[in-house]
Amino acid sequence: MRIVLPWLSELVPISGSPDEVARELGLRGLEVASVENGRLPVIDFEITANRPDCLSHLGIAREASAIWALPLTLPATMPVAGGPPEPLDVRLEDASLCPRYCVQVFEVRIGPSPAWLTARLEAAGVRPINNIVDVTNYVMLEIGQPMHAFDLERLAGPALVIRRAREGERLVTLDGVERALDSEMLVIGDAERASALGGVMGGRDSEIGAGTRRIALESAYFRPTSVRRTSKRLGLKTEAAIRFERGGDIETPPVGIARAAVLFERLGAGRPLGALIDRYPAPRTPTTVRLRAARIARLLGHEVPARDVARILEPLGFVVQADADADGPAWLVTVPSFRVDVTREADLIEEVGRHYGFDRLPVTFPALSEPQPPPSPSLTRDRLLRRVLTAAGFSESVTFAFIERQAAQPFCEPGTDPAAIANPLSEKFAVLRPSLLPGLLDSCVHNRRRERRDVRLFETGSRFTAEGEGRAAAFVWCGATVAPHWSMPAREVDFFDAKGVVQLLGRALGVDLDFAPAERPYLAWGRAAEIAATTDGDRRVIGAVGQIAPAVAEARGFPAAEELYAAELDVTALGAATRGDRTVDALPRYPSIVRDVSVLVDEALPAGTVRGTIRAAAPPTLISIVEFDRYQGPGVREGQISLSVRLTFRAPDRTLTDEEADAATTAIVEALRAAHGAERR
Amino acid sequence: MTDPSRHIDELRDQFTRDLEQAGAEAEVRAVRDRYLSRRSGLVSGLLRTLGSAPPEDRPRLGQLVNRLKADIDERLAARLAAVASARPPKGSVDVTLPGRVPAVGHRHPLSILREEIEGIFTRYGFLIIEGPELEDDYHNFEALNMPPEHPARDMQDTLYLGGAVRSLAGAAATLLRTHTSGMQIRHMETHPPPVRLIAPGRVYRRDNFDLTHTPMFTQVEGLVVGETVTLADLKGTLTAFAHELFGAERRVRFRPSFFPYTEPSAELDISCAACGGTGRAAKPEAASTVRPVPVESAPMSSGRGAVPPEPAPTLADRGRASTEPAQTLGSGGGGTPGCAMCKRTGWLEILGSGMVHPAVFEAVGYDPEQYTGFAFGMGIERAALLKWGVEDIRLFYENDLRFLEQFPL
Repeated sequence: MRIVLPWLSELVPISGSPDEVARELGLRGLEVASVENGRLPVIDFEITANRPDCLSHLGIAREASAIWALPLTLPATMPVAGGPPEPLDVRLEDASLCPRYCVQVFEVRIGPSPAWLTARLEAAGVRPINNIVDVTNYVMLEIGQPMHAFDLERLAGPALVIRRAREGERLVTLDGVERALDSEMLVIGDAERASALGGVMGGRDSEIGAGTRRIALESAYFRPTSVRRTSKRLGLKTEAAIRFERGGDIETPPVGIARAAVLFERLGAGRPLGALIDRYPAPRTPTTVRLRAARIARLLGHEVPARDVARILEPLGFVVQADADADGPAWLVTVPSFRVDVTREADLIEEVGRHYGFDRLPVTFPALSEPQPPPSPSLTRDRLLRRVLTAAGFSESVTFAFIERQAAQPFCEPGTDPAAIANPLSEKFAVLRPSLLPGLLDSCVHNRRRERRDVRLFETGSRFTAEGEGRAAAFVWCGATVAPHWSMPAREVDFFDAKGVVQLLGRALGVDLDFAPAERPYLAWGRAAEIAATTDGDRRVIGAVGQIAPAVAEARGFPAAEELYAAELDVTALGAATRGDRTVDALPRYPSIVRDVSVLVDEALPAGTVRGTIRAAAPPTLISIVEFDRYQGPGVREGQISLSVRLTFRAPDRTLTDEEADAATTAIVEALRAAHGAERR
Repeated sequence: MTDPSRHIDELRDQFTRDLEQAGAEAEVRAVRDRYLSRRSGLVSGLLRTLGSAPPEDRPRLGQLVNRLKADIDERLAARLAAVASARPPKGSVDVTLPGRVPAVGHRHPLSILREEIEGIFTRYGFLIIEGPELEDDYHNFEALNMPPEHPARDMQDTLYLGGAVRSLAGAAATLLRTHTSGMQIRHMETHPPPVRLIAPGRVYRRDNFDLTHTPMFTQVEGLVVGETVTLADLKGTLTAFAHELFGAERRVRFRPSFFPYTEPSAELDISCAACGGTGRAAKPEAASTVRPVPVESAPMSSGRGAVPPEPAPTLADRGRASTEPAQTLGSGGGGTPGCAMCKRTGWLEILGSGMVHPAVFEAVGYDPEQYTGFAFGMGIERAALLKWGVEDIRLFYENDLRFLEQFPL
């Protein structure tokens, strides 16, 4: 709202520079966008949605009056003369959408406005048109009442019917656009058709022009929700709609006409004909709110002197009447009709507080009355994940929760679609991500295009699968496993690097994870594993690890010839599988014995199966099995591998003998032969 | 003929100089060859010249030369031993070659800042809660005193879901939360006062993705409810917080504002670090005459003929990254140079706050006569922009390692 300072000072005798005026008003909650020290100095305010009354010079003048204790001068109005009623039929058919409708007929002479008026309008940011339109705009900027002038001779009837639009009814508005209306919209019609969108914009057919001789000047109060809905539905944001949708002053419509009459007379632009027509079936009952001094102190933390309460509220238009009781000083405060934001005690306390000055309130710290419970486990879990993954060389990413549909599709469970956003900003943000991996893949590509070959990124966050919202952690890894160094060639990342990181996460969270071959549409066939956690005998798949399918990676711009590894885990499930607090095992007191065994087995036989066979055949003294070599080549038959495992035996209560270890090893080799046809090398 | 003994002394002096100048082992060995080589060495040469000396002098001179030879021999041996002992032992390394730095990743700056903020409020006795990012209309708007068709909903341009999706709270959600306030409603619905919590998390708005806006950003909101909580407590808590996060030298001020779910409402500004709160450009152009810069005056060329700018009615919006691009100085402002960081105001908005609106208490079943409370909200991106001088908010979402690796481990 652009406030023209000479105009403001007609209403309240402010002194001080524009900057000082702006600063003081700013500290009362009227946010200043700019101060312009021109020939007509202007302060541009950003008025918050709760203060439609401040979308006028008068509203700002009341604030200034309260700040500097200055008298307020209301703009001059003139009572509209009586006289024989004009032949205009005004029918208020929908008082719920239009609680008050005033109209006055004027005889007018259309012409240009004088320079003082056009200068003020222009300073306020409104384009002058002709004396009649300019006066309606002037009154709106001055006292906040939007008005509309119909060319009376272009109204069929002549009549003004305030009604809902008929379904499918059409109206060409002042901007020349033909609009399709619906029955939720309020129109002002003549005897035949719609002539204006109530509170939003007039119609072209009844627009005044150079030949207009008589006007019907409308000054009304429209229901805010209705205006807002119509304005939104039609995409028409006008000065009038902005004021009405936030709440006009239901007592001001006649004042607007009386003020316009003065200005018409001063400009020689017109004179009223007949009496004011005022349709106001249910006059407003003033709101009275009780304000207690004790409550002010309770909310602000400071006892505002009683005399300051009336000193602050009265210039703002409130009527204050003392109403003390046993609990201390109190007041009955009558709320002026233009303060639509004030309905309860807290609203009045805000008025007192902001004009008393927030800077004058003390600074205290709220008392703590009980200990806090620990933070949610999800928070602790995510911090741990971040710590472990950064320690493993991964940098943390943040990617958007909404992505392109094509990017999402490969990551959806087969047969499901990603959840769509109804009103996306663009196709790039069309669906909720079903996985964190598409975003990480794109971030990986972003880095690759900026000369970073070796990329390790992770993210923790929300994903949206067919089951709904969930929390996940994921990482991607491409390039070298260690930074290139003069001492040795770099090694490229492979499946086992990625799997190792997942194993590390399992260890960090105290979850026993197992891995099994799996198929995922986004992972390369033969290089993908599901990750499962078993709690209380219940094995649950909580994620997957593997190489991103080359076609999926390439579709996002990742080089086809290179490998990108990734994993994603449902961290809620991971956290739930965490073992509880564990006791510490005593350190072993007796030495262990190691036996290495190499066997020839079929190359398709999973090491996990071999391990299972060993475990089943071994005594409880076998404490670890580690695969230390897997060989294929000269000396090993085609289709076979040589698998070497190191077996460690130890007993908790005595020193094992070599004979015991040898016997166990022999039994194991025998079991491998029986189960898998394995030959010892 | 000159005295041959003089030649002997000269040769000793020459050797002393040569040995001094010899550094590495190879050079010392070259000196030895030069003086002691049996055939071509200087000492042997000197010995040969003795043949021309008078016979009575020969034994004395021979003795002198032999003594010189022994002296040279001894000094060379000592020197060679010293050089050999300074040589690196076998298996030594060149310590100036680069080491193998273990690969360590960096936390995201938004996480760093979020954890710092969580740490501060944890010390203030606040609980940290997390909640669903998908919400229903009731928890995101209605319970927060924003009924349907409320004008304040405009500012939180909302992303709606095509169909209901199950949220983390197990409820059917219809929209992406526009702030984390819904979590606070859920908390109050299930916990009686007192309440003292912060609710950090990602929030979503239907905003373009540009230098200063993003459709997803990170928020921390806070809520304190009790029987004696006041606006003075709000001031005390948030002043301490702002000083911790941005530095104790910053001045703070509370300015009345509007949010639908607080009454009274206040914005917290801190003094601008770039201009020290003066609003003036750090280095005014030499040619310009610097006028006193008005506080809170930044010319906006968009005001003319435009509809009034929308207000910002949510706590979150104050702290969000709405740093408008710096106004072109000199356009419409009469050429006054000013601080681009704070748009000449000397102040930076960092968060929105206020006393909890009684309607919110009523919605969650708290008695507004018995309890009072304050709430606040800030955007972490904006705080990060201010704290680290990041100029483009998009950097937080590109995950460019060159950017991420600049932040502390």
